[in-house]
Amino acid sequence: MAGNLIDVTDLHVTYRTAGSDVLAVRGLNLTVGAGQSTGIVGESGSGKSTVAKALVGLVPPTSGSIRIDGDLVAGERAKGYHRSSRWKVQMIFQDPYGSLDPRQQPLDAVLEAIQHWRKLPRAQARTEALDLLKSVGITERQATSGLRALSGGQRQRISIARALAPSPQVLVADEPTSSLDQSAQAAILNLLRRIQAERGLSVIFISHDLGLVRYLTEDVIVMKDGFVVEQGPTDQVLHHPTQEYTQRLIASALA
Amino acid sequence: MAELPGAGLATAQAAAPGTDGQVVVDPRKPYLDVDHLQIGLQRDGLPLHIVDTVTVSLLPGASLGIVGESGSGKTMLCRSFTGTLGRYGVGITGGRLSIAGHDLTNAREKDWRPIRGRAVGYVPQSSLAGLNPVLTVETQLLEALGLGSRTLTKSQARIEARQLLDMVKIPRADAVLNERSHQLSGGMRQRVMIAAALALRPPLLVLDEPTTALDVTVQYEILVLIRQLREELGMGLILVSHDLAVVEFLCSQVMTMYAGATVEIGASENIRSRPRHPYTNALLHSRLGMAERGKDLVAIPGESPAVGAWPEGCRFWPRCSSAADACRSGAQPAPRLVDGHLTACIRAEDVT
Repeated sequence: MAGNLIDVTDLHVTYRTAGSDVLAVRGLNLTVGAGQSTGIVGESGSGKSTVAKALVGLVPPTSGSIRIDGDLVAGERAKGYHRSSRWKVQMIFQDPYGSLDPRQQPLDAVLEAIQHWRKLPRAQARTEALDLLKSVGITERQATSGLRALSGGQRQRISIARALAPSPQVLVADEPTSSLDQSAQAAILNLLRRIQAERGLSVIFISHDLGLVRYLTEDVIVMKDGFVVEQGPTDQVLHHPTQEYTQRLIASALA
Repeated sequence: MAELPGAGLATAQAAAPGTDGQVVVDPRKPYLDVDHLQIGLQRDGLPLHIVDTVTVSLLPGASLGIVGESGSGKTMLCRSFTGTLGRYGVGITGGRLSIAGHDLTNAREKDWRPIRGRAVGYVPQSSLAGLNPVLTVETQLLEALGLGSRTLTKSQARIEARQLLDMVKIPRADAVLNERSHQLSGGMRQRVMIAAALALRPPLLVLDEPTTALDVTVQYEILVLIRQLREELGMGLILVSHDLAVVEFLCSQVMTMYAGATVEIGASENIRSRPRHPYTNALLHSRLGMAERGKDLVAIPGESPAVGAWPEGCRFWPRCSSAADACRSGAQPAPRLVDGHLTACIRAEDVT
């Protein structure tokens, strides 16, 4: 389909293990246009993180296809993720402690990403990395000191700067604030919204938190055990859920 | 006092709890009484405070939620209620702590033995990893029931272990008794941890972030279970959470902590509708549930200060939108009564 940044058709992902196969995703269709926000909600084992990984090419689909900006990146006859399309989709991970190298300075984490995607002279890359870090609220001093002194929220800002290094079109955020305090969460979500508006990014929010999805997204997919339970405009799904599981999720969320 | 390496002030007479293991509950007196409590250690010969200061008292059967950011001292405070501070190299360095009428301020390990589990049940943070992976659920419940130290035969203890699982509404309890933690879901593990904490029927249960790693539907089930258990057993509850919604669901009182200090305390409803401390106010408004799509969330600027780096004056002033000159000097303000509850803000009347 033309015009869509992301076009996923009948995505299936099966993890093959010694004992048995795990059907992590069992048929998911998704289209995301430029600047759109889409939420994928579900509980542990729903397959939502697997969808995120498939979108950035970390796990191969068992069947179905993924098109990014028109390029077939996964599926039958796909050429796979190449540099020409891979930069367009970047990811922010759940654990800000595990997703950054503790021995690396924040500046180097972002610098490495910039140099991976764009062949810039080191001095210029350094300036860009610092600018990028500054735009997410990390000072030069914080960027050039150890990671150890930084809070979860500050680390997540660094992850965001690193994801922005190739100027992507889509950001996949897998539970970006679930390990943060409420006030740190608010700051990170404000930042993500600002970045999205400034850059016209499409964002896919993977979350267990219906409040977050309600606040941030226009469309939502509810997943359970690999299946899509319900899908549609967020307001419609959250206010008029048609499926028993969605109703149960909504009832379990505390005000 | 070997278990309190930093407790320079801990010289007074230790408590003398009843040796018969009986916990006496006096309905007219606070069951838990914390008065200007300080927790800390000595670093380079100087005292380093982690909690400074907390004042709170709880009547038997009452419920208190403790909220605050990471590093505010919530967990250390809970550890002081179970006499486990020494395991983390810290101790009570000032103020007073009493539980069930026993002064435990300077209690030694042997003084804590009749209190821990009997007077206070404790489910620590990250308790999903709290079960021993190589022991069966039954073995661990028997341990919690104090098999060996009480006059309890093994067959009696087994019946009690089984009853504990029924109490926390674990289906197929007979099978679960013989299972190990890897065979149980997160929700089931948390139920077993709660069962173990309740083994000796303590009149007060302390839960530190009991649902943080759980799925929404499982979190709801656990919260409902805790509410039912309180109704059945009439026990008091202290619940630590960074989630105000969780606290409001279970607790009639709430205490906000910031940088080791009580900054606001009072009835949950009252604080929810009229917060009188800018920190609590910001916490309430940073919730997603309150947010309108397309509008910024209320975020508290900056980071909470590290232990040992608390600012002069009110510890919150560098992040406070209504800080005045008077807020920037002197000591952390003591809580005072404003609009029916206690707040440590000198400008509380102006908080909006």
